[in-house]
Amino acid sequence: MDDPSQGNSDYVIEMNHIRKEFAGIVANDDITLQLRRGEIHALLGENGAGKSTLMSVLFGLYKPDGGEIRKNGQVVKINSPNDATALHIGMVHQHFKLIEVFTVLDNIILGAEDTKFGFLSRKEARARITELSEKYGLRVDLDAKIEDTTVGMQQRVEILKMLYRDNEILIFDEPTAVLTPSEIDELMKIMKNLAAEGKSLLFISHKLNEIMEVSDRVTVLRKGKYVGTVNTKDTNKQELSNMMVGRPVQLVVEKGEAVPGDVILDVSHFSVPSRIHSRNAVSDVSFQVREGEILCIAGIDGNGQTDLVYGLTGIEKSNGGTVSLCGRDITRLSVKKRGEDMSHIPEDRHKHGLILDFTLEQNMVLQRFLEAEFQNRQFIRFNAVREYTQELIERFDVRSALGPLTRARSMSGGNQQKAVIARELDRNKKLIVAVQPTRGLDVGAIEFVHSELVKERDAGKAILLVSLELDEVMSLSDRILVMYEGEIVGEFDPKKVTVQELGLYMTGARRQDGKGGATA
Amino acid sequence: MKESFFQRKGVKTFLASLISIMIGMVAGIIVIIVVGLTNSTIADSTIWDGIRLVVMGVFSKGRDAVGNLTFGFNPAFFGNMLFRAMPLILTGLSVAVAYKTGLFNIGAPGQYLAGICATLFVALSIPTSSVAPWIVWTLAFLAGMLAGALWGCIPGLLKSLLNINEVIACIMTNWLAACLVTWAFDVSSLKNVIEGTKTGYIYKTAMIINDYELGGVVGVAGPELPEGATLLATRGNVATAKMGLDRLFAGSQVNGGILIAIVFAILLYVIMEKTTLGYQLKACGSNRHAAKYAGIHDKRNIVLSMGIAGAMAGAAGSLYGLSGNTEFFWATYQSLPAVGFTGIAVSLLAVNNPIGVIFSGVFMSFLNVNGLQLTNQTAYNENITDVIISVIVYLSAFSMLIRSLMEKKKEKPKTASSGEVKA
Repeated sequence: MDDPSQGNSDYVIEMNHIRKEFAGIVANDDITLQLRRGEIHALLGENGAGKSTLMSVLFGLYKPDGGEIRKNGQVVKINSPNDATALHIGMVHQHFKLIEVFTVLDNIILGAEDTKFGFLSRKEARARITELSEKYGLRVDLDAKIEDTTVGMQQRVEILKMLYRDNEILIFDEPTAVLTPSEIDELMKIMKNLAAEGKSLLFISHKLNEIMEVSDRVTVLRKGKYVGTVNTKDTNKQELSNMMVGRPVQLVVEKGEAVPGDVILDVSHFSVPSRIHSRNAVSDVSFQVREGEILCIAGIDGNGQTDLVYGLTGIEKSNGGTVSLCGRDITRLSVKKRGEDMSHIPEDRHKHGLILDFTLEQNMVLQRFLEAEFQNRQFIRFNAVREYTQELIERFDVRSALGPLTRARSMSGGNQQKAVIARELDRNKKLIVAVQPTRGLDVGAIEFVHSELVKERDAGKAILLVSLELDEVMSLSDRILVMYEGEIVGEFDPKKVTVQELGLYMTGARRQDGKGGATA
Repeated sequence: MKESFFQRKGVKTFLASLISIMIGMVAGIIVIIVVGLTNSTIADSTIWDGIRLVVMGVFSKGRDAVGNLTFGFNPAFFGNMLFRAMPLILTGLSVAVAYKTGLFNIGAPGQYLAGICATLFVALSIPTSSVAPWIVWTLAFLAGMLAGALWGCIPGLLKSLLNINEVIACIMTNWLAACLVTWAFDVSSLKNVIEGTKTGYIYKTAMIINDYELGGVVGVAGPELPEGATLLATRGNVATAKMGLDRLFAGSQVNGGILIAIVFAILLYVIMEKTTLGYQLKACGSNRHAAKYAGIHDKRNIVLSMGIAGAMAGAAGSLYGLSGNTEFFWATYQSLPAVGFTGIAVSLLAVNNPIGVIFSGVFMSFLNVNGLQLTNQTAYNENITDVIISVIVYLSAFSMLIRSLMEKKKEKPKTASSGEVKA
C-alpha cells in the first residue's frame, strides 16, 4: 500500500488516520480509506464497527477529531453536507430522505432547482433527469408521488438525486437492507453501470454475497479499528467474515437431522383479507408445523407472508379457515391468548417488536409484565424486571450504553434485534414464529441467531420461519413452503431442491398443484 | 450510577421548565415597562410597583399610609392561590394522563362542564333534611367524576373503534357539553330564585334552600320561611370540608379540594409509574402497534385513558362547584371554561409529569393572583399576566430544546461506564 501520509492523486478520495470519539467511545480509531476513481469500494464491518461514523465524517455530518481527508490529492475540510455536495460527494442514506407527497421529479430537483424569473423551470430538469435515467438504467416514473412508489424506485430516486447534482463520489449506506432480491439484482447492475461511467462508489454493507458480487476492493473495520483492505478477487467470503468478526465464523449452519414429533401448529384452509385491495392477501392456505422442525416459508416480499403471520398471531383478523395450536382452536382468540403457546419475532422490530421510547428492561417484559414474577398486586416488581433483563443481556450479548436502562431507540439496529430475539426465545413457547430474524444483523450475530434457532428446534420446539434470504432458507430449514400471491405453490425438501428451482416457484413460473405450469 | 442518571434527567427537566418560567417572567416585565412608558395613564413610578406585583403579588399586603406597597405573607392571597390551583391541577392531570397514552385531551373543558353539571344536580336535588350532607357531598363528587369520565370516554370510543382523531371529537364534545349543560339548567329548578338579583346563576351548594308549602302552593325560600308555611324539605348546605385550611389561610376561599387534587396527582403518578396499568397505558401511547403485538388491549386502554382523563377534569368541575361559595353561571353558555384549556398549559409546563402538575398548577394560579393584584393596586390591566402565561406555555414547548442545549454543555466529561458500550 502507498504511504498514506503522502497525497496521491490516483485516489479520488483519501481518508487518512481518521479518529472520531463520542464521549469516551472511540468510534473510529486511526482509520484509512482510499477510494480509486471508478471503483466500487466496499466498507465491511459488524454493527457498531464504525462504518456509518466514518461515512458521516466524509459527508460532513461529524467533524473528525484527528486525521485528514484529501480529494484528488488536495487536503479538504468538510464541515457540513453542503461542503460535501460542493466536492461532489453524495450519499444514499439507509432510510431515504424523500418527501412523500412530492413527485419524483420535485424530489430530485429539491434544493437544486433551476429557476427562470423566480419560477421553477421543470422542463429542462425533466430532460436532464430523463437523460440520466436512461444512461444508467434507473427506471423511475417522474410524475408519480413518492408515497405511491416502491422502495426500489425510491432508492433509484435517491441515486438520481446524486447524479443530478453531478456527484462523482457516491456513498451507499446499506442500500440493500430494504430491497427485495430482484430489486437487489437491479441495484447491483446499476452500481456496476455507475462505476463503468467513471463514478467512484463507496458501498457500506455486511452482506458478503453482495460485496463479493459487486465490489472491486474491500476495506474491513472491526470495533472502530482498521483491519485491512483487500482486492475482492483475491479473497473469499470466509476470509472476509473472519476479518470482520476477528475469529473464524461458521457460515454454514451446523445442524443434525430433524426429528419431527407431534403437530404443534395446524393451519387449515386459512385466509386473511388484504389491507390494500379487495382480494385476500392469503387465500386457502393449509400446512402443519411439528415439534422439532423448522418449517420455512419462502417467497418474494409481498406475496402474503406478512399477512399470514399477522393472521396466525392475531394482529389481523382472518376471514376463513381454522388455526389450531397445541390442539387448541385459536382461530378467534386474542393475541394474548395465542401468546400462551407462541412467541413471535416480528418482521418490523420498530413497528411491532419494540417500544422505542421505553427502556430495554421495559421492553423485555412487554408480554410478561402481568406474570406473577414481575408484578405484585398490579405493582411492577422493578428489581425482578431489572435482574431478568440483566440476565438476558448477558446470555444474548445485547450491547447497549446503559444496560437495562437504555432507551431502545438509542440502541443499534443489530442489538435491538438481539433484544427482541432474546425476549421471544426466552418466553419458551412451543411455537416460535420468526419473521426475517436476521434482518440487519452482521455475520457474527446471524451465526448466533441461527444456532439458537437450531438449539430451540432440537429442544423440541416447532419453528415457523419466514425469510426472504434464500441462503437462510436453504441452510436453516427442514422443510420449505413457497408462497406466491397469497397461496402456497409448493413444498420442498431443502436437500433435494436447488435455489434456481425455488426461484421458479417464487416468481410464479411453476406450481405443484397443477394449476400453474409444470409440476415438480 | 443508575440512580444518578435518573436524577440528572429529572433535574434537567426541572431546570428546563424553570428557564421557561424565567424567560416568561422577563418577557412579562418587559411588557410592563413598555406599557408603563407608553401609556399616559400609568405613572412611571407605577412601573416598579407593577413589576413587583407581577413577580410576587401573592405576597402583597396592600399599601401603607404613604402609599407604598408592602410585602409579606398574606394568608388570604396564599389561600386563594391554592383554591384557584385546585381545578388547574386536576385539568392538568387530565391532559397529562391522556398524553401519556398518546392522546391529546383538548376535551377537558367539556368534561369539566359535565362534572360540574352532574355535581350540582346531585348536590342541590337530594334533600339534606333526610340524607346527611357529607353523603350528599360524596354522591355529588362521585357523580361529577363519573360524568366527566363518561364525557371523556366518548372521544376515546370514537378513537378506538372508528379511528376518529380525538382532537376533533373532543372539540365537538366540548360544545355538546356546553349546550347540554345550558339546556339542563334552563329546564331545571336549580336557578337561583331566592337571591332574586342573580338571574342566570345556580344556587351555591352551601346555601340552605327550603322547600315549603303554603296554601297548597309549593315554593322555595332561604333559611327564613314565609309566615304559616309548612317545611317540606331542606336542600343545599353541602360544601367541601375546610380541613383546617381556613385557619391556616384566614380570609381565603381555600378548602380541602386542594388536598384531594394533590392526592389524585400522587395517585396518578403511582399508577403511571409503578403499576401494570400505567405500563399498559404508556405502551399503547408510545407504540400502539407494539402494544397490540404484545397482546395488550390497545382499544380498551385508549378508552380507559380518556375515561381517567375525563374523571380528573370532572373532579375539577365538581370540586369547584362543591366549594360552596362559588356561583355557577349557566345562562346561554357563550364560551368554554378557560380552566379546561389552561390544563393543557399546566400539563405542558410539567412535561406531563403528575407530580410536576401540582407545582405547575400552583404556579399558574400564582400568576393569576399576581395578575389580580396588578389590577387591584395599579392602573395596569390584568391581561398582562395572560401575556406572561402565554410566553411560558410557548417556551415550555421548547423545553426539549432547552434541555438538549443543557445536555450539550454538560456532556463533555463522561463517565467511563458508558465507554464500554458500543464496542
